[in-house]
Amino acid sequence: MIEMHDVWKVYPNGIEALRGVNITIDTGEFVYVVGPSGAGKSSFIKLMYREEKPTSGVVLINGVNVKRVRDWKIPHLRRKIGVVFQDYKLLPHMSAYDNVAFALEAVEVPTKQIQPRVEEALELVGLSDRMKALPSQLSGGEQQRVSIARAIVNNPGFIIADEPTGNLDPENSWDIMYLLEEINMRGTTVVMATHNKEIVNTMRQRVIAIEQGIVVRDEIGGEYGYED
Amino acid sequence: MKIDTLRRHFREAYRGIVKNSWMSFAAVGAVAVTLMIFGVFVIFAVNLGSITDEVGDNVSMNVVLKEEVTKEQATALTTKIKGLPNVNEARFISKDEGVDEVKKNLKDADFTRVLQKGENNFLPNLIKVTPKNVSVSKQVEDAVKGLEGVEGVKNSSTAKELLDSVLLFKNIILVFGVALAVLAAFLISNTIKLTIIARRREIEVQRLVGASNWFIRWPFFIEGGFIGFVGSVLPIGVLLLVYQGFVKMISGGSKNANLLQMVGFGDMAMYLTGSILGIGIFIGVFGSVLSIRRFLKI
Repeated sequence: MIEMHDVWKVYPNGIEALRGVNITIDTGEFVYVVGPSGAGKSSFIKLMYREEKPTSGVVLINGVNVKRVRDWKIPHLRRKIGVVFQDYKLLPHMSAYDNVAFALEAVEVPTKQIQPRVEEALELVGLSDRMKALPSQLSGGEQQRVSIARAIVNNPGFIIADEPTGNLDPENSWDIMYLLEEINMRGTTVVMATHNKEIVNTMRQRVIAIEQGIVVRDEIGGEYGYED
Repeated sequence: MKIDTLRRHFREAYRGIVKNSWMSFAAVGAVAVTLMIFGVFVIFAVNLGSITDEVGDNVSMNVVLKEEVTKEQATALTTKIKGLPNVNEARFISKDEGVDEVKKNLKDADFTRVLQKGENNFLPNLIKVTPKNVSVSKQVEDAVKGLEGVEGVKNSSTAKELLDSVLLFKNIILVFGVALAVLAAFLISNTIKLTIIARRREIEVQRLVGASNWFIRWPFFIEGGFIGFVGSVLPIGVLLLVYQGFVKMISGGSKNANLLQMVGFGDMAMYLTGSILGIGIFIGVFGSVLSIRRFLKI
């Protein structure tokens, strides 16, 4: 469960990215975070995987106050969260397999377990036959699927996705959405910031709209609500 | 730490070195030069102990007595000097004993024929005073000069000056070595910085998937330590070879065989290897720490 209580995020240059946000996301939910550019979506997302600390207020991940977590314990917090980005953040010199294995090595998973787990994750995202391909040999959609495989290979409770379809054509975007939906069906909480009106309006999940750092709308089965 | 993880850290460190091979090479070179100088310092410092002991024996001074001082007065004066602080030994040498001593020291060279005992002996009565150590010889000299019946004090050798210059040389090498060590650490730090920059994407992904801070840092420590280690091996080899040759030359049947008793090769090999390896790895790791602190934002 993710909880935010009166969360403010003010950057050193004085910009108030979030202003008194109160939100609760239950385990197993699928949530879209929408809003115009610069509304505070990214700050909202970054607080969840402790890339940013709240200036004031409380952010709880499974009951743990992220602001109070000691620096050396942050990695353990992040292991519970898989993060997916618009630009995939794959390592260009590594194959699809190695990119996913890299995530397991980083958390010191025993070598014997790495191969079966990587293969399972790549199979889930439909890339069993592309394991040896380098990112440059994969399409945008395939690269995003590798990045999703990397995010889920540690079996996190949450997937935080920041514009995961932002660089993809409609067909690939839908593939990614079906994949995220399937992951959500297996019990993983998915929080996704997006500008994709069609997807939000079609898939009808919970929608949190942020404008000028304030949550202006929070509805189950909501719509995108903007004309961009 | 698991053995798999350790193996991985070494592999990553090796990858970093190969990737920035020229920078790593420069850093290894800087460490090698630094440690070569440091090694010379170690050789001096270790040998200085034995040199100081030897020189220490030669810092005795001759206290020249006035012509009118009688033998009884001289004996009393000797006892008085013996009682002074910082004096190890004081021995009265009469004019005639002086002749014997000079002839013995100079191996009856031709010109010593002019030295005669008795009426025509122009040597003074003197008291040979040995201070407790070199550093207090000036105090002893000043104390003795003020005593009644003393004409003057002459140092029997220039040992003190020799020792002073050796110490000065040692200090110059030390300062130079420290400056170079700082330079080498910065070069290593720069190499590590390049590796950190080259790996920023990997580091970013590692952070995101929850790698521990130490997991991310270890390869950079190993890389720095390894550069320091490789940079140590060359100077150790060169210095030991040179030292071995030097020891042989000094003790190789020359008349000066006993002039300087150098520390044995085995002992020196131990001192040199231990200290250079230790300092080398320290410089390497220190360089890594500098870069990790500045550039590795975890």
